[in-house]
Amino acid sequence: MLSLVIDWGVDMKSRAAVLHGIDQEWQVQDIEVDAPKAGEVLVEWKAAGLCHSDEHMVTGDMVPPQEAWPLMGIDDLWPVVGGHEGAGVIAEVGPGVASVAVGDHVSASFVPSCGRCRYCSTGRQNLCDAGAGAFLKGMVTDGTSRHRIADGGPELTLLAKLGTFSQYSCVAESQVIKVDTDLPLEAVALVSCGVATGWGSATNRAAVAPGDTVVVVGIGGIGINAVQGAAMAGARHVIAVDPIEFKREKAMEFGASHTFSSMEEALPQVMEMTEGMMADKVIMTPGVMYGDLMALGTQLAGKGGTIVVTGVAPITQTESSVNLFELAMWNKEIKGTIFGSLNPRADIPKLLNLYRDGQLKLDELITNRYPLAEINDGYQAMRDGTNIRGVVVHS
Amino acid sequence: MQTKAAVLRDIGQEWSVETIELDPPKAGEVLVQMKASGMCHSDEHLVTGDLAGATSPMPLIGGHEGAGIVMEVGPNVTGLEPGDHVVFGFIPACGRCPSCASGHSNLCDVGGEAFPTGRQISDGTARHHTADGEDLGLMCLLGTFAQHTVVHESSCVKIDKDLPLDRACLLGCGVVTGWGSAVYAAEVGPGDFVAVVGAGGIGANAIQGAKLAGARVIAAIDPVEFKRETAMELGATHTYASIAEAMEGLGDSTWGRGFDKVLMTMGVGNGDALGEAFHLGGKRAKIVVTNIHPTVEPSMAVPGAFLTLFEKQIIGSLFGSANIRKDIPQLLELYTQGQLDLDTLVTNTYSLDEINQGFEDMRNGKNIRGVLIYD
Repeated sequence: MLSLVIDWGVDMKSRAAVLHGIDQEWQVQDIEVDAPKAGEVLVEWKAAGLCHSDEHMVTGDMVPPQEAWPLMGIDDLWPVVGGHEGAGVIAEVGPGVASVAVGDHVSASFVPSCGRCRYCSTGRQNLCDAGAGAFLKGMVTDGTSRHRIADGGPELTLLAKLGTFSQYSCVAESQVIKVDTDLPLEAVALVSCGVATGWGSATNRAAVAPGDTVVVVGIGGIGINAVQGAAMAGARHVIAVDPIEFKREKAMEFGASHTFSSMEEALPQVMEMTEGMMADKVIMTPGVMYGDLMALGTQLAGKGGTIVVTGVAPITQTESSVNLFELAMWNKEIKGTIFGSLNPRADIPKLLNLYRDGQLKLDELITNRYPLAEINDGYQAMRDGTNIRGVVVHS
Repeated sequence: MQTKAAVLRDIGQEWSVETIELDPPKAGEVLVQMKASGMCHSDEHLVTGDLAGATSPMPLIGGHEGAGIVMEVGPNVTGLEPGDHVVFGFIPACGRCPSCASGHSNLCDVGGEAFPTGRQISDGTARHHTADGEDLGLMCLLGTFAQHTVVHESSCVKIDKDLPLDRACLLGCGVVTGWGSAVYAAEVGPGDFVAVVGAGGIGANAIQGAKLAGARVIAAIDPVEFKRETAMELGATHTYASIAEAMEGLGDSTWGRGFDKVLMTMGVGNGDALGEAFHLGGKRAKIVVTNIHPTVEPSMAVPGAFLTLFEKQIIGSLFGSANIRKDIPQLLELYTQGQLDLDTLVTNTYSLDEINQGFEDMRNGKNIRGVLIYD
């Protein structure tokens, strides 16, 4: 008797960059990836951005302290497949997947968008409830894992449940967004996190308006796109602050009107150019959002000004230097943002359309490309400040 | 003192340039030597009667888009002194009424009450008289079609002396009205699809506002080829000769989704055109009505069902929902920085004696903006 057997066991091996603990290097090694179950897809990643949030795992800034793991339901955080900025091609779809088919090009979305929770329902997909449990090994769908170190090794956590530093990974349908096939996948990868986060921090969360004076503090992969968004939203002055000359030069190419190497240097100049009124919007996009940066960050904003905090702070940091007297008396506001407060399903395609129209620069963001095997070189370049964005190109 | 002014005595007549008597400024008022005045369609509305009842009774001195130099200040004037350069706001901003106090000085209550009288805000009397001694009303309490005028301090915005007054005058009405219609009333944002219906003195600036606000597509709709060409220079991405043509082009311009923002900036609004343009808007579109409809027009041809089903919004906007004291200086800064084009807007200049020629050129679609220059 002939029977059709579906094998839900180990389906394939994949090369992946894995982090085994804080302060270690990325290990490029084989992992096992199971076939997608209901509501899941197998993606062949083609390009992955080297974002600072992955580096935050290495430094430990984004690693929950071990004593908090039981509360968070984490047995063991490690090992972790990195990468949450990516674009690829759908290799296989599980049962019930409707929005993508095999062969479709997709953007990753580091926050899922279930489309059904309170936040998705009110136009805030960046806060989708399905994003909870980001540090758990189980899938968004059924809580079980599809990835482990090759040859029966431990189960893996995938950064943002994506793991784009793997050639293949199994992810929830709610974390992939179909994009047009004429778009270069490197460009799509950049939009999936850094570009949207920076751009939206300016256009959406800070709500930069024509005539505004805007200061962007920190010109990396996020800040450069906040500069780009602020310029597109019609800001009168776009002031970029970064200690590295190369990044200041890049900022001018992306629409900055002025650059300074520090907030200390910027402060008197912003005062001068605004006749003492200071900035309408200050966008904080440093590599690491240390609390003491807020002292000058808030001073750069004028009366009624908005300070948007986009950069990732050390997870255990609880203090920041804000003069609360001035915050109240000058009616300032401090706003946090994840993903630039955008909606991945609406805004990733929208940004890619702007790119296709020539209204959004993406190609110019890429400073260097690396094969997966050289990923540690890419992160060293980030630490050295020589990359706006490095991109892993999977072979 | 005596000065020269363009006076309108009745609907349908020409402007009469004549010598008038001008009293000195009273409390809160200033005497201004005019340097330049835009010729706006709202002045033409006085001639056609479209604004009947909404502004000064006849005879009146026209003009509400002006810039000049303060020559003399009356008692209790605190913000201006002789020699100051000023742009007039076509609506005074008292700074104290509920509208001003809530950030809507474009709806100043003082202006609203005084407008239909055409007389001074301070005491309700006239400073301007014909040679025969008959009181003259003022368009928008200003009367910028004159070599000199007396206006209330509330209508004046002081500007830097290095700015060219023949450009700055446009900030008194048309530029801010168009720009603000896009930026404030419609709240154009990066990536938006925007349609501007009518590319004259208002529409041209709505295009500039939409562009600076990051619109992805800006479709300019105007039957006059010269205006469509100017629209492209100012930032339009598509042009159409009619609303019907733009409807046919929706697939090309908005991938069939319809526009996010539709700005009505025609010479004269009408209910049928608004009904037609309503269909250009997509889901949740904002349709901003900036152009003046005849005051006697009782209805507009808007299919109410789609207002609900597509959640479209129809929004009226006066002076682009802007505030003279913030936006006139700010837009002049944008001009200085090269982010706002005022030079392309001025098609032709005229002396006061040539005013009727200027309005004839407006009717014939030859001008984006005609400007009167005073010696």
